[in-house]
Amino acid sequence: MSTPSEKPKPAPVQGVGPDYRSESQKPTATVSTDVDFETVTVLPQTPQLIALLSMIRDRNTERGDFIFYSNRIIRLLVEEGLNHLPTVEHTVTTPVGSKYDGLSFQGKICGVSIMRAGEAMEQGLRDCCRSVRIGKILIQRDEETAQPKLFYDKLPEDIAQRWVLLLDPMFATGGSAIMAVQVLISRGVPEDHILFINLIASPEGIKNFATKFPKLRVVTAFIDQGLDEKNYIIPGLGDFGDRYYTM
Amino acid sequence: MAGPTAAGESQVTERTTIAQRAHYSPPWADVSIIGIAGSSGSGKSTLSQAIVQKLNLPWVVILSIDSFYKSLSPEESKKAFRNEYDFDSPAAIDFDVLVERLRDLKAGKRAEIPVYSFEKHARLERTTDIYSPHVLILEGIFALYDPRVLELMDMKIFCEADADTCLSRRIIRDVRDRGRDVEGIIKQWFAFVKPNFEKYVDPQRKVADIIVPRGVENQVAMSMVGQFIEQKLLEKSTHHRAALTELEIGAHSEPLSSKVLVLEQTKQLRGMNSIIHNIDTSNEDFIFYFNRITTLLVEQALNNIPFTSAKVETPTGNKYNGLRPQGEVSAVIVLRGGAALETGLKRVIHDCKTGRMLIQNNIRTGEPELHYLVLPKDIDKHEAVLLLDAQMSSGGSALMAVQVLVDHGVQMDRIVLVTYSGGRMGLHRLTKVFPDITAVVGNLVQDGEERWVERRYFRC
Repeated sequence: MSTPSEKPKPAPVQGVGPDYRSESQKPTATVSTDVDFETVTVLPQTPQLIALLSMIRDRNTERGDFIFYSNRIIRLLVEEGLNHLPTVEHTVTTPVGSKYDGLSFQGKICGVSIMRAGEAMEQGLRDCCRSVRIGKILIQRDEETAQPKLFYDKLPEDIAQRWVLLLDPMFATGGSAIMAVQVLISRGVPEDHILFINLIASPEGIKNFATKFPKLRVVTAFIDQGLDEKNYIIPGLGDFGDRYYTM
Repeated sequence: MAGPTAAGESQVTERTTIAQRAHYSPPWADVSIIGIAGSSGSGKSTLSQAIVQKLNLPWVVILSIDSFYKSLSPEESKKAFRNEYDFDSPAAIDFDVLVERLRDLKAGKRAEIPVYSFEKHARLERTTDIYSPHVLILEGIFALYDPRVLELMDMKIFCEADADTCLSRRIIRDVRDRGRDVEGIIKQWFAFVKPNFEKYVDPQRKVADIIVPRGVENQVAMSMVGQFIEQKLLEKSTHHRAALTELEIGAHSEPLSSKVLVLEQTKQLRGMNSIIHNIDTSNEDFIFYFNRITTLLVEQALNNIPFTSAKVETPTGNKYNGLRPQGEVSAVIVLRGGAALETGLKRVIHDCKTGRMLIQNNIRTGEPELHYLVLPKDIDKHEAVLLLDAQMSSGGSALMAVQVLVDHGVQMDRIVLVTYSGGRMGLHRLTKVFPDITAVVGNLVQDGEERWVERRYFRC
């Protein structure tokens, strides 16, 4: 897919740390590129998140650590994603007999992972939602046309009545994610009931996606600098599926 | 001040913070020392053990002067094996080290006590730690000998017994416990023990407050000493509680420190909190959601550890300017509640070194008491120490827990307290005393909340 390629802007560098530290006490690091879409949520650029991303980007990080640290980020992503689900006011009685004014969760959810890398995010989803239903979609690039092509899907029957957490860690041009969303919409899932949970995105992909699906919510940990000529995210982290499963 | 201050600069900042810092004095800050001296075999250790056993409190401990025997030179050692070395003269005792350790304990610090081997006639490599006694019983033939030691004492006891009783007890003990033979013991007795007794031991009775004849058989003396110690313990407890109450003053009017961070009350968090607070929630759900929240708490806590810039290269050869933690992060669990956060901790740092301390509130007085303590040896070198507890209401045990870490050389600004719920007054009190620590709190709650979370989590 050819995107009108903007020149990658220099990545933003800033001091990272808690508010009570002065700027001089904060170590500097490259943080997520800003995008201006109301539907896109980028995780707070905390020092811990930056350190986790540094771990999984580093080519010297071994597979065990790669899995452990990416799971930690994915859990934070899922926790943030779940915040966008509906709730109602709910008061409960506590074990010590007092009242607690809280919320209760509304609506049923399910996960859908885009194979294969998206499946690596299922653990993180299950850490937060124990027995959640998880559908799968296999999309591969057609060798002849270089276009993404749907090869397989298996989704919950009642998916149209559910909120869907769509899982894919790397979001470059967004070709397969767009196709996956189209599959979900064709099964009756309203666009505003889809949450796209993503680890690292490119600004081009985000822009493309947010323009195409203005009601769909994206939750990502980091928007990188851009894409290279082969449409890989820069700096990115290499092939997520390979590093998680086979390398 | 606690903790090594390396640079002059840090001493300056320390001085400026002292002005606004409230002072917390743990019950072990001014340990009461009771000296028990007397001839060898006069029943000193039996008496001290009987007292300690009767009180049965972990903060009444016995320190034997025997631990402070000087290590012998090869020449002296040979003499010792021939029973020709004079162990019963004050010159055999390293009073300088003893005084130093007693002063440390008096200042509330941890003291490393040497271990002396009677079989080898040498100090061993390893040491044992004494930390946080409220009352220390120092026993030994020369417990009342050194004027510097006497100065530190609250009560001085001299044990008396017939010389033949002493000798027979000594024979039994040295054969049984110290691997000696009878002939050697008797040789030693007449060459050293007896003359030294007359010269150095016996004169100590002049400085004693009480002289106890017949050792443990002397019930009146036993209960007198017992009562004295109980009185001291009560004084300390009253003082400690008064100090805690005093720290409450002003807690309501002032805003919380900027280093108290309460988790953002997102919809998810409020929803999970509702499940956790609901008395009708199943045990499985309670544990599941509590683990989820504590994972977030620990993640949030780690934002407060020191990081440093780090350049990494991705598998595709791109560079990224990131961060990495500056050094090791360990955790200390305040039992029992803190153990409920352990699952969350392990999800974030799976191989985290973990210390443990048991602090319980006295049922009668409500005073927090330190019952048990094991910390990683190198804890003072760690870049950050997470201190975990499930709930904190008045902050008494948190104060004590932080004090314990500070006493073990952990710098205040490296301590991150992590708690599921915290009372405003407790948090205020804690940060007033330890302004440089960070506190990460799941929920800000009313003061004086019961400790219901651990009951629910551990289901008993």
